Amino acid sequence: MRKLGCIRFAAIAQKALRNKQSGAIRGTSLPRTSREPLEQVSSETELRASDAALMARMVQRDEAALEALYDRYAGLLSSVLNRILRDTQAAEEILQDIFYQLWRTASQFDASRGSLPGWLMVIARNRAISRLRHHNPAAGEELFENTLVLLPMSLESAITQKELMGRVKGAMEALPKEQRAAVELAYFEGLTHSEIAERTGDPLGTVKTRLRTALETLKRAMHP
Amino acid sequence: MNGHPTREEDFDLYALGALEGDEKAAIGNHVATCSSCAEKLAEARGRLALLALAVPAVTPSPSVTTRLMNQVRSEKQGATRAPAVSPVPDTTGGLFGRWWAAVLVPVGFALALASFVLWTQNRRLDQQLAVLHEDMQREQQQLQSAREVADLINARDTMIVPLAPQPGMPKGSAHVMYNAKMGMLMYEGQLEPNPANKSYQLWIVPTQGNPISAGVFNAASTETDHFLMKLPPGIAPKAFAVTLEPAGGRPAPTGPMVLVGAAS
Repeated sequence: MRKLGCIRFAAIAQKALRNKQSGAIRGTSLPRTSREPLEQVSSETELRASDAALMARMVQRDEAALEALYDRYAGLLSSVLNRILRDTQAAEEILQDIFYQLWRTASQFDASRGSLPGWLMVIARNRAISRLRHHNPAAGEELFENTLVLLPMSLESAITQKELMGRVKGAMEALPKEQRAAVELAYFEGLTHSEIAERTGDPLGTVKTRLRTALETLKRAMHP
Repeated sequence: MNGHPTREEDFDLYALGALEGDEKAAIGNHVATCSSCAEKLAEARGRLALLALAVPAVTPSPSVTTRLMNQVRSEKQGATRAPAVSPVPDTTGGLFGRWWAAVLVPVGFALALASFVLWTQNRRLDQQLAVLHEDMQREQQQLQSAREVADLINARDTMIVPLAPQPGMPKGSAHVMYNAKMGMLMYEGQLEPNPANKSYQLWIVPTQGNPISAGVFNAASTETDHFLMKLPPGIAPKAFAVTLEPAGGRPAPTGPMVLVGAAS
């Protein structure tokens, strides 16, 4: 639970809480190893379906499936939207819009053509950058457009997300300062080579080399 | 571009949106007709999407969920909305055949109808208020829990311990995410369904002292089980284990060890 997402993380907590409220799960009293009473946030099993199964249920207009996917990935999307826009209200508007569009176009989803969280993250970044740069956010923004996105691993597990998060953060922090800045300007502000050169005052060739080297390094770090 | 892009990073640069002009157009045109390069571009998009994981976690406000679900329900109701209520029938026909009756009867009827409508509306508003109040309390609880989980996941001293299956025991695998300072533990795993009269129980084996129960759960087939536990802070773990216990669990482990993992 990510989203933990922290994406699905909120989901985990929410569902754990629901489980607790419903009494479906039971925790056991701990031995008196501490004077502090144990507070059990939750202790019941949470059932979780795959993304594809939840999308299939959404096609049948199952609201719970939408909530489950929201719980799983909203945190991830919220993080990147807020990083790009630095505006909570705008980020939440786009977040709501993406999930509403997911609900309306669920029948167009084809799991064989890519990963759902990959799609969601790509579309979230595109929309945030469009908004940031005052482009028309509706232009070419079909959710399941012909954009194939293949993630190297599933993000359905909170543990995977946590491990990956550490790896990606570590890889970004390990980049030389100038390379990291170039990646951030491209990824979070949507700048091209020449726009980065203009922004930083560095020669275009230098910017190209920095970005290319940084992407090579990140690729190796994320797929050792 | 007549051939494939010469360097793998070209796909990353294209997916990133850093390329411009001829470079951008060449790759865009090429991948439209080359399936192997289209797949490389898809992989590049996936790799770059993961950079989103490097940013600080921001939990969305619970109000977004509320607005989203209201939007969805409005859409569904809109699709099945019943026709508007019929207008009130004209009753001015004069029940007693006198002029005042012709006035008072419809007025009285209108007042009664208005009272009924107002009473109904008031009742509905009370119900909506109660639901909103309940939603607000639930959202506050959810937000608090979500923050705790996000803190656990983002804390640098949170450990992740894989739990491995033991020979001859039900098959499965799991991970435990644990932060001793925060006293928070999250379990995520898949196990074969437990017998009806048994339950699985997770234990922290501390470096000193007896195992401490960290939750009792029943496994459902093919599903991943998750739960979050708050424990007294400061328990230094030597290992984590899942045992099969009588239904409801036990204060100390009595059953066979199904999964185990050493804390490093």
